Amino acid sequence: MTLLELTWDYLTTAGSWTGNGGLLDRLVEQLLLTVTALLLGMGVGLPLALWLGHIGRGGFLAVNVSNIGRAIPTFALLAVLVTADWPGPAQLGPYGRAGLATLIALALFALPPLVTNAYTAVREVSADVLEAADGMGMSGRQRFWRVELPLALPLVVSGVRLALVQVWATATIAALVAGPGVGAIIVSGFARNKYSEGIGAAFVVAVAALVLELLAAAAQRAVQPGRGATVRTS
Amino acid sequence: MTLRRTLFAAVLSGSLILTAGCAGDDVADDDADNDSGSGGGAVTIASQSFDEAALVTAMYEELLDDAGYEVTKKLVDTRPAYLSEFPASVDIVPEYVAGLGDQLNTDANGEGAEPISSSDLDATLEAMQPLLDEKGVTLLDPSEAASQNAYFVTQEYSDDNGVTKLSDLEGESIKLAAAPDCEGRDDCEAGLADVYGIDIELLPLGYASPQTYQSVIDGESQLGQTGTLDGTLDDQGLVLLEDDRGIQPAQNLVPAVSSEFLAEHEDVAEPLNALMAALDNETLGELIARVSIDRETPEDVAEDFLEQEGLID
Repeated sequence: MTLLELTWDYLTTAGSWTGNGGLLDRLVEQLLLTVTALLLGMGVGLPLALWLGHIGRGGFLAVNVSNIGRAIPTFALLAVLVTADWPGPAQLGPYGRAGLATLIALALFALPPLVTNAYTAVREVSADVLEAADGMGMSGRQRFWRVELPLALPLVVSGVRLALVQVWATATIAALVAGPGVGAIIVSGFARNKYSEGIGAAFVVAVAALVLELLAAAAQRAVQPGRGATVRTS
Repeated sequence: MTLRRTLFAAVLSGSLILTAGCAGDDVADDDADNDSGSGGGAVTIASQSFDEAALVTAMYEELLDDAGYEVTKKLVDTRPAYLSEFPASVDIVPEYVAGLGDQLNTDANGEGAEPISSSDLDATLEAMQPLLDEKGVTLLDPSEAASQNAYFVTQEYSDDNGVTKLSDLEGESIKLAAAPDCEGRDDCEAGLADVYGIDIELLPLGYASPQTYQSVIDGESQLGQTGTLDGTLDDQGLVLLEDDRGIQPAQNLVPAVSSEFLAEHEDVAEPLNALMAALDNETLGELIARVSIDRETPEDVAEDFLEQEGLID
């Protein structure tokens, strides 16, 4: 049998999906890991980037500091975190071995697209619109919530969408420190000369990334300002 | 536009998978010119890049260099990377008997093939002979030194629980820090579970890796995987457990030579056989420790040892 047929066999066998450590198990782990890391990144990055965009200052610094995340290989960071006394390789509930270290590494990895997009989105709101808002007597707070944020939202969400897919695909590196996720199957498949399992699992990750991308694209369309407006006026 | 971008992403990830499938180091850049007769000419040796293999390969290099050959050396991460070009453009490979035999076996008979190696050296050699003939590879004399998987615990664990051999762990629930390929292997997880009756939970942290040592020393796992040639255990307060039921295949060091190359250059056999005779586990373990702990270069250690043994001038 060729490798492709073996891979197809692996993917179409129910036993590969179910059971302890099967594909479904690992997919759920990885999804949990991805969503948590993304939320962490959003919790830290978005308020900061939106606020800096609103006051129109410090963005250069913020974007560049978060870009350090792009320059440091995520695996190198993970390796350092796991070797350090804290967070180390300790078990963290459903996140498995080295859970905290993996979450931190992935959250930092999610920051650059989140911060860059959110900051730029608020900064790029047209000056005419802002002037109009000021002319209407809006306070800074009102201007942010009623004008800047709604107009910036599509670009902010596009950053989240970018980060989501990136973090999802990168979350496979957790396997390199015996962590959770589909990466465990990929690593073990290649290590045991069962290329069909490694390639099959990698294919599953890729397909899941596309599904996430489509879902995120739908979410992005939903926040497009034009749509809300037409609904309201009609 | 979204659709187009998504399609683009799909095509891109598809092609990534394909390239990943055929990834592999290019071991030999070109076919070495081997027509210059015995006692000289070009020779390409390839092996894996971990310290032990790098050291043994450096010994081969010194010996062949001493015999008048122009040696090209290629070290790569995994066995399949050089094996696919051996014996076509790689002439000599420092190998391990059972490792080579089982790899040739899975290459020839598919990933599910029954392993042909055992803890019996002669039986393993006999079983792999047809595969070697088919590939066009000749094995020289195997060494007494054998690089086998071995399992260690902390000295403290050994003392507290009276554990000195693997069978002492029968019936226990044990966390094992080991290479990811341990799962299902007869010389690792499967053997420990089936032959020794140990209830194994595997942590894929790597073979004799810093992570594996750390995990055992910290008490996260009880058992760690390393090799019989590991000279670093003592200093870390770790001890090997005896493989008293023989689950380790005969991983004796052996020079694997392209049959065609050997026919044209018969003089490579003698120095390599002499090297195999000079090595045993203890000697090699000490030499490896000089590379992996004292950070001497494999080349220096190899030259030093060969001069001391009178194998080179």
